[in-house]
Amino acid sequence: MSSDSSGTTAAPAHQGDVLVVTDVVRRFGDLVAVDGVSFRIAPGETYGLLGPNGAGKTTTISMVAGLLPADAGTITLLGRAVGPRHTDVKRHVGLVPQDLAIYPELSARENLVFFGRLQGMWGRALTARVDEVLEIVGLADRAKDATKEYSGGMKRRLNIGIGLLHQPTLLILDEPTVGVDPQSRNAILESVEALSHEGMAVLYTTHYMEEAERLCDRIAIIDSGRVQAEGTRDELIRLTGELDRIRLTGGGDVPEAAAAVRALDAVASADADRHSVLLAVRDAPTAVAGVVTAATAAGMTLDDVEITRPNLESVFLQLTGKALRD
Amino acid sequence: MRTALAITSVELKRFLADRSNIFFVFVFPLLLVLFIGAQFGGGGGGRVALSGPDSSLTADLAAQLADDDAQVTTVTADDARELVARGRADVSVVVTDEAAAAYDAGDDVAVPLVVGNGAQSQATAQRVQSALDALALERGQLAALTDAGLSAESARQALAAADTALRPARMEITNVSEIAQEFAGLGQFDYGAASQVLLFVFLISLAGSTTLIQSRRLGVTRRTLAAPVTTRQAVAGQALGRLAIATTQGVYIMAASTLLFGVDWGNLALAFLVVVVFGLVAAGAAMVLGSVIDNDAAAGGVGVGVGLVAGALGGAMYPIELFPDSLRTVAHLTPHAWAGQALAEVQRHGAGLVEILPELGVLLGYAAVLLLVGAWVLRRSLARAI
Repeated sequence: MSSDSSGTTAAPAHQGDVLVVTDVVRRFGDLVAVDGVSFRIAPGETYGLLGPNGAGKTTTISMVAGLLPADAGTITLLGRAVGPRHTDVKRHVGLVPQDLAIYPELSARENLVFFGRLQGMWGRALTARVDEVLEIVGLADRAKDATKEYSGGMKRRLNIGIGLLHQPTLLILDEPTVGVDPQSRNAILESVEALSHEGMAVLYTTHYMEEAERLCDRIAIIDSGRVQAEGTRDELIRLTGELDRIRLTGGGDVPEAAAAVRALDAVASADADRHSVLLAVRDAPTAVAGVVTAATAAGMTLDDVEITRPNLESVFLQLTGKALRD
Repeated sequence: MRTALAITSVELKRFLADRSNIFFVFVFPLLLVLFIGAQFGGGGGGRVALSGPDSSLTADLAAQLADDDAQVTTVTADDARELVARGRADVSVVVTDEAAAAYDAGDDVAVPLVVGNGAQSQATAQRVQSALDALALERGQLAALTDAGLSAESARQALAAADTALRPARMEITNVSEIAQEFAGLGQFDYGAASQVLLFVFLISLAGSTTLIQSRRLGVTRRTLAAPVTTRQAVAGQALGRLAIATTQGVYIMAASTLLFGVDWGNLALAFLVVVVFGLVAAGAAMVLGSVIDNDAAAGGVGVGVGLVAGALGGAMYPIELFPDSLRTVAHLTPHAWAGQALAEVQRHGAGLVEILPELGVLLGYAAVLLLVGAWVLRRSLARAI
C-alpha cells in the first residue's frame, strides 16, 4: 500500500487488471462529488468502497459503469476506455444498483429476458442462461410470478441475478444488502464470495464495515469524494497504529501475572486491577497462547480470556473523525 | 433496432399486465360506444311505439314497419305516448278497436299518430303513413283479385309473386339540414365508436405515461443505460412503446366495435391509418408528460384531465358538428378534431386518401412537434435518472 501527500492511494497499473481508475473527478455544479479517486481491480478480486452515505461511492460506480462521464481522470476496463459514449465496453460490466431496478408487473423470467436482450442475448442462449440464473438466485420455482408478489430478499436476489445474467467480467454491487433480512443478507454475501472464487472481479460498495471485512480482498475507505486510505483489512488497521487487546479475567496472583506477561515481546503494555489484566498486544491471535501460559505460570487462575481487535470502524473514525454511519 | 424493440415490447407487456387496465382499456370504451349508440339513434327506420288490440291491423302494421327497418316497441297506449314525450320513441301509433274492425272489414282506417319533436320524428311519421298506405293498397289489391274470381289464397300468391318480380321505385331524399346531411346513413354505433377510439387512444396513452416515470423511479432506466444501450435507442424504444400502446387501444376498439356493434368504418385501411397517425400524436404527448413530471400519481391525474378536456373540446364526447361556430374553431386546436374530421370523411362520405390528406398533414405536424419535444425532454429525464 502507498499513499500520496493528500492521503489518496496511488493505483499502479498492473498488466492484467480488469479495471483501472486513475485520478477521476466528478463535479455537480460547485459540489465535487468525486475528487481524484484512483484504484484498480484484478481478476477474481473483490474490491470494496467503504464509506458513509454521500461519500461519493455511487457517483464513482456510476462512472465505472459508464453512466456518467468523468470531468477528469481516466477509467479503463480491460484496457478500453469507459464512459457513456463507449457502449460496447458496457457488455463487460454487470451493474447491481442499490435500487430494486426491476419491473414489478413482470415476472422474474420476463425481467431477466428483457435485460438479457438489452445485453444482446437472444433465442435459446438467452433462455438457457435465464434458467441458469434463476437456479443460481433460487427463484426457479417462482419464475413466473409477478415480482411485486416477492419478498424483499427475493427481489434483491433477482436484482443480483440480472447483473450476473450476461456473465460480466466486472460485477458492480452498490449496497446490495440495504434493507435485507439477515438470512437473505447472508445468502447474498455467500453468492458474492462464490462469484469471486469463480474469478469474477467485484466492485462492492457498502457502509457496513462487517461486509467489507468479510468480502473484500482490498478496501478503499472513501469520504467526501476522496479515497482516504486503501489496502487489505490488516494493512488499513496497521495504518491506525492501534494494537489488539487481550483481557484476562480470574483470581490468584493477578499483579504477578501482569508483570509476567509484560515481559513478553508481543505485549506492549499490561495494566492490572483486582480481578483482571488488560494487555495491548501485536497480533493477538498469535500472542494469546504465550500470554495465557505466562499468566497461569505466574499464579493466576483464569476464568475468561477476551480478545478485541481494532476494526475498520475505528480506522474510519481515525481517518475522518466521524463514524461510518454518520 | 432490436434493442429499441425490446424496450417497446416490455412497455406494451407492462401495459397489458396492469390489471386496472382491463376495465378502462377493454370494457369501458365499449360501454361508452353502446351508451352513445343508444343516445344517438334507434336505427335508420325510426323508433315507433305501437299500441292496440290483438288484431290483424296491429300485427300487419308491426310487420310492415319492421320490414321497413323501423324499431317497433309494443306497449300500452299510455306508455306509447310517454315514450314519445320522453324522446325514447319518435312516434306513437294507437290502433283503436274501431280501426282494427274497419281494417278487417276492408273499410277506411283512421289511426291516431302522436309525433315527437326529435330530428327523426317527422321522417318516422312519414314511414308509418307509408306502412299504412302499403297495407291499404295490399288490401285493395286482394279485394280486386278476389272480386275478379280468384280464390283468396291464389290472390295472395299472385301478389307475393308480383312483389318479388317488380322492384319498387326508389326515392332519393335530400334533407336541407346540414347536420342531417352530415349524419345521413350513419349506423347507430358508428359515431360512438369513432369518437371513443380517439378519446381512449389519447387518454390511455397519457395515463400510461406514468410507466416512464416509474421506470426512472425504480432505477430501471439507469440499469438500461448501464447496458450496451445508447440514449437514442432508449428514446426510440420508449417512443415506439407509447405508439404500440396507442395503436393497441385503437385497434382493439375498432375490432371490438365492428364485431359487437357492426360499426362501419368505411375504408378500414384508411380509418386505421388515421388512428395510427393520431396514435403518433398521443405517443408524443405521453412522452412529454412522462418526462417533465417526476411524480407518477400527478402525471396520471394530469394525463386523465388533459385527455378528457382535449377529447371533449375535440368532439370525442359530443359531435363537433353540433358545436357553435366559435367553439368549433377552438376545437380545431386539438388533434382530436382533425382526426375526427378525417374519420368522418372516411366513414360517412367514403373519402379516399387524397381527400383526408389535409387532416393527416395537420396530425403529422402535431406528431412531429410532440415527438421531437418528447424525445428532447425524455433525454433530459434519462440524465436525471442517472
